Amino acid sequence: MSSDPWIWIGAILTLMIFSFLYRDNPFYKFGEHLFVGIANGYYIVYYWHNALKPNLFEPLSAGQFVYVVPLLLGLMYFTRFIPRISWLVRIPIGFTIGWGAGLSIPALFQADVLRQLEGTVVTPATFSDLASGIWAVIILIGVVCTLVYFFFSREQKGLLGSASRLGIIFIMIGFGASFGYTVMARVSLLIGRIQFLLGPWLGLID
Amino acid sequence: MKRKLPLAICFFMGISMMIQFFIPHPTSLNFGSMIYKWIIVLMAFALVLAIGNLIRHHGFKIQKGKEDWPYSIVTLTSMVAMAIIGLAWGIDPDSLYQSIYLNIMAPLGGTMFALLAYYMASAAYRAFRARSLEATLLLISAFVVMIGFMPFGQYIHPRFPAFAEWIMKVPNMASQRGILLGVAFGSIATALKIILGIERSWLGGKE
Amino acid sequence: MKWYDRITMIDRRVIYLLLTVFVIIPFFIKVTIPQKIMPQTRRLFDFIESIPPNDKVVMISFDYSPQTQPECHPMAKALLKHCFARGIPIVGLSFEPEAPGLAVDALVSVVQEIDSLATNREDSLVYGIDYVYLGWKSGRIAAQLDMGEAISGVFPRDYFGNLIDSLPLMQATKNYKNVAIVIILASADYPIDWIRYPQTRYGIKVGAGLTAVMAPQYYPFVQTGQVSGLMSGMKGAAEYEKLVLDHGYARTLGSAETGMNSQSMIHILIIVFIILGNVGYFFSRRQKGTHK
Repeated sequence: MSSDPWIWIGAILTLMIFSFLYRDNPFYKFGEHLFVGIANGYYIVYYWHNALKPNLFEPLSAGQFVYVVPLLLGLMYFTRFIPRISWLVRIPIGFTIGWGAGLSIPALFQADVLRQLEGTVVTPATFSDLASGIWAVIILIGVVCTLVYFFFSREQKGLLGSASRLGIIFIMIGFGASFGYTVMARVSLLIGRIQFLLGPWLGLID
Repeated sequence: MKRKLPLAICFFMGISMMIQFFIPHPTSLNFGSMIYKWIIVLMAFALVLAIGNLIRHHGFKIQKGKEDWPYSIVTLTSMVAMAIIGLAWGIDPDSLYQSIYLNIMAPLGGTMFALLAYYMASAAYRAFRARSLEATLLLISAFVVMIGFMPFGQYIHPRFPAFAEWIMKVPNMASQRGILLGVAFGSIATALKIILGIERSWLGGKE
Repeated sequence: MKWYDRITMIDRRVIYLLLTVFVIIPFFIKVTIPQKIMPQTRRLFDFIESIPPNDKVVMISFDYSPQTQPECHPMAKALLKHCFARGIPIVGLSFEPEAPGLAVDALVSVVQEIDSLATNREDSLVYGIDYVYLGWKSGRIAAQLDMGEAISGVFPRDYFGNLIDSLPLMQATKNYKNVAIVIILASADYPIDWIRYPQTRYGIKVGAGLTAVMAPQYYPFVQTGQVSGLMSGMKGAAEYEKLVLDHGYARTLGSAETGMNSQSMIHILIIVFIILGNVGYFFSRRQKGTHK
């Protein structure tokens, strides 16, 4: 068993959160609220040390007065709490949203649309290996049918209905695969905590 | 003015970033670089707003004596204490700040996520029913992936892992790509609507 | 109550208890079952193998939080061991605020392990020459794009407060032209931003180590070559550990490998539960159909 007080604190807090499995209780609530508080305090310090200080206040102190603009824009966020001038908060929001929207359009087109369409298109070269060629055709059918399933501008009947039905089959197989991976992910997190309790705390395993 | 100015700024930023993406001239790159640095600062300020909201919410709970108000004291006290510790004594790897992060914050956060394994098992047992063809396909696909990717899967049948890999690479990939394309088209359309001022929900408020 | 109704009404606390027991048992009854390496994990490993030593750096973006540490931390350690063993310098950074503590922990533990086996100064790792950790930065996409021009413009100082320009490794690593690949170890959608923005603009190679939840979504990017290799969850970490061990870059396997036996047990348990639930459901439905 560990003699490190920090390990004991970690173990006790772990067991407090696990107690929720039996039922909601004051220990769990304490742990939950402690986590929220400490996480927010953590973020405050991080944002100061790693973003505001080196990227705003140090350049301003060095005479780079163009940084007055982001300082003013950032301060405008706080006008949200002053009802008379709360409309000013729209300016930094508009700045950030406009920036993000403008940047995303060419990036999404290039990475998510064009490259993905490139990977879907079937050419004679795809059939250099027969199996790969057949899978490529199945992928093409799957992509088209999945897109058809989410197309609601026309009634899904006839050919559209059949394609939509095939699309849902592909989607369900995909979701099943995702579920399989999700099980692995969630169980990994549990294994990690059990490893901590059995190893560093109780010393029962290496 | 209260709506037109932010919309104009949004339009200008959107168009200029779209154009800047395609122009490799140093002026364009320097402009882009300057804006990126400003955004880094703005994102940091947005957190301050979030912290303000948190303090307001919990402060209100304490003031009005709402249910579970003592836990709000825990939240606010721990937040202030952590902030003071980090700002006053630094964030070096061997500082108290890092010790609290590794030994309090990490176990709490990790255990909360570990609970998900239990909920998922319980939910799968209660709700996962092969009621239809689609649900049955989902179940079969899940079983194949769960068994195929585990080390023992190859002992059930030597081709099991390959079959699981095929499910990931062909039908799963097809559906994921279809969803990806759909989301991309939707995102592009929404981004255009925001830049052009058609989508104005981000403005909020009436005036 | 009929048996088929009973098997659908097992108390949730019994399920929780069984789950806990099945996780714990494999830690005491150790059985080694060989891993089958997935193609995308091998692709990432082979890419790192193809990088010449002391040439370009491998940039690792540590973007996982303590919540997903069991999956991503072993990936980080295996990757670091691989790169250091091959003489490939590392530049680390983070865009997830909760990641830096874990990033430093991974770097320190791997460097200490390697230095403990070093017989001379050349074998040991020196901060600023063999590896640098830049720390965390806000405004993720903005920072990723700005680093394409100059990393020092985004990170004027590293995580430990040193001026970037004072570090020999960073004097040679100005921007993405000096980066062989950026590998993102993430528990959220961070790799997709690297693909959409820096890769589209600057053509940087991207690899990923993801939690298993995220992995299925990245198969389209692996197929198009936008992602050069992928580690998926604890299994991916265990596979990479195996590859690193088999190639002589490490002496022991890491924690992911030991977790895989528990994974297998739990998968079987969950499958049994789902089958029980469905058997009860079908018999119950058939009984109701007969009574009609």
